[in-house]
Amino acid sequence: MTDTPLEFGDPSDLEQLRGEFRGWLAEHPLPERGADEPLPVFLHRWHKQLHSGGWVGLDVPEEFGGRGLTTLHQVAISDELGAQQAPGVPRIGYLAQALLKFSNDEQRGRLLPRMLAGEDVWCQGFSEPGAGSDLAGMTTVAEKRGDHYIVRGQKLWTSYAQYSNLCLLLARTDRDGVAHKSISAFVLPLDRPGVTVRPLKAHNGDDEFCELFLDDVRIEESELIGSEGDGWALAMTTVSYERNALDTGHLSKYGLLVERLRGIVGERGDDLPDGLRSEVGRCFVDYEVLVAHTRRRIAERIAGAEAPFDSSIDKLLMTRTEQRLYETALKVIPESLYEDGNEVFAEYLYSRAASVYGGTSQIQRNIIAKRILRLPSGK
Amino acid sequence: MEAEEFSLVRDMFRTFATRFRSGTADVDPAALDAAQKALDELGLAELRRTSHPAATAQECALLAEEHGKQPLGTSTLGTVLLAPELLRLLGDDTPAGVGATPTIALARDLRFAGADTSELVAWDTQGADSALAVAADGTVTSVELGAPAPGIDLLRAVRAVPSDAPGKVVGRLDADALRRWQAYALVIVTSELVGAAGAFVDLSVEYARERRQYGREIGSFQAVQHILADATVLVAACTSATRYAAWSLDNETPAAALTAARVAKAEVNTSALEAVHSGMQVFGGIAQTWEHIAHLYLRKVRLGATILATSADLLSTLAEPEAAR
Repeated sequence: MTDTPLEFGDPSDLEQLRGEFRGWLAEHPLPERGADEPLPVFLHRWHKQLHSGGWVGLDVPEEFGGRGLTTLHQVAISDELGAQQAPGVPRIGYLAQALLKFSNDEQRGRLLPRMLAGEDVWCQGFSEPGAGSDLAGMTTVAEKRGDHYIVRGQKLWTSYAQYSNLCLLLARTDRDGVAHKSISAFVLPLDRPGVTVRPLKAHNGDDEFCELFLDDVRIEESELIGSEGDGWALAMTTVSYERNALDTGHLSKYGLLVERLRGIVGERGDDLPDGLRSEVGRCFVDYEVLVAHTRRRIAERIAGAEAPFDSSIDKLLMTRTEQRLYETALKVIPESLYEDGNEVFAEYLYSRAASVYGGTSQIQRNIIAKRILRLPSGK
Repeated sequence: MEAEEFSLVRDMFRTFATRFRSGTADVDPAALDAAQKALDELGLAELRRTSHPAATAQECALLAEEHGKQPLGTSTLGTVLLAPELLRLLGDDTPAGVGATPTIALARDLRFAGADTSELVAWDTQGADSALAVAADGTVTSVELGAPAPGIDLLRAVRAVPSDAPGKVVGRLDADALRRWQAYALVIVTSELVGAAGAFVDLSVEYARERRQYGREIGSFQAVQHILADATVLVAACTSATRYAAWSLDNETPAAALTAARVAKAEVNTSALEAVHSGMQVFGGIAQTWEHIAHLYLRKVRLGATILATSADLLSTLAEPEAAR
């Protein structure tokens, strides 16, 4: 943690960008979501619309299809989307950062612009039935055969794989080696022979989770990201960005709901049951603290700090914000409890996943204790 | 201030704080006087005194954080950081009727004074000769210091304000200057609490690395690790909110800075206290004694959670969109 003044960006520069963005939004209203249109399909159309205006990947270098601005600019846009009652930024920040760091120039030039433009839709093949937070327990194997690999195994929680065409896949390239050196990362096109995607219904009725079956799937050497054995480090980079509310687009989603709840307090004021007004105030505080924390993390990142384990702090703060927010929303919007398929209730159920995905809250606490606080290890 | 220059000022203050920290709850008045004299010699009260202040609000907030890290009885907040800023907001020249070393006065319950300013207390009075009170309409009054008043924060001197000696009106803050003052005061007080909570959690982490029970360091038990991990998250939340609020004072409108400062105070009111509770749990029995410094930190954050604005005040205000307030 730095103890010198931090630079959170030039407010007039950020305000100008927000102004341009508001102007663009006014001329490019939200697309209508069709009655039967699945959410990912709708969000994908929204992603393409945002990209057409140059509003995706603001902090990705221009040569890879972004705008070469700072992450603080990206925060401002995320903030503004929430304020303008629009869906969040596309959830690709963490994948883009992992590719920027680990892929070679040819792969970056080929994959990143298509990712930002929404021409490719990615999913993430990390978790397995026997290995969620415990990546070292991974059993999917990629066996080298001359100039290609043959992959066998099963993945789980490959979010929205049925709407995706590419998967960032982790597999073991060395069956016997230690996990940190034997896992590799690949880009797998999902139309490859031997790949089966099976949607799995989640507790909120959503079809986000998918199983991915890999039966002797051929992956080319050119589809390996980085070198053999880089998979562990790449996974750590991906999850560390995934634990930041900005990089996953959660920030704007929370902002939208917080403002909705505050609007209800503004209108109904004193009719609310005792204590609920303060609870909404608490949600606003949580959200603003998370935004301030994200900005500080990014200011430190820009100033050159590399503290990968700090992302566990970010994740726990994000979880706190999300879970308390949806719990409060159920009380402020009570009809959400009495309508089947209510969106707020579905999001409440999903908020319970916040303390599980990207590494459970217990794993985050272990990481903080061991890696940040350097406490002695247990026996 | 240039980065190197600020580092020098901060290091100087840190050296001062380490040297004059109080290792006990039985505060020696002579040692306190010596510490206050040494603080005066650092000349920090000039940092925010002029219309183009030498230090940014963010830099002052970091000094307040340093002050909070050690058990210190000097009035760094009142006489060095808060009162000079109030005078700056009133204008370059010190108005007639203001003492040489003013601190600030608050409502009797230590919150921002309301319309009725008949019952005030002077806060953080070590080495002070008078106090400045800001009423809800922005009127600034200089008041005299009365008898020492009891307080639970053993390291902070508080004095009564005699009700029979009317204060002298020394100026008036306009609406924006009043917002700025409130935001700045919230940020400075909040920074001290962040420093206190963070330093105490650090001490408890060190303790957990060394203290042995059942034949091993208690820091190796997952139950203890998780308490400390959660406390670390709370301190990080307090730090981020407060640093951002301090930066907002230097860069944003008074209204935006006040919202950020209120958010930071609301976070710190609960999280700094919870972090100190966690640290005390890790220290175990020793932290329940008069001799151990744990209660000095607890007293500071417990009282700090009510100073200027309580959670009940803040959460209720922040529950509505700005336009509806």
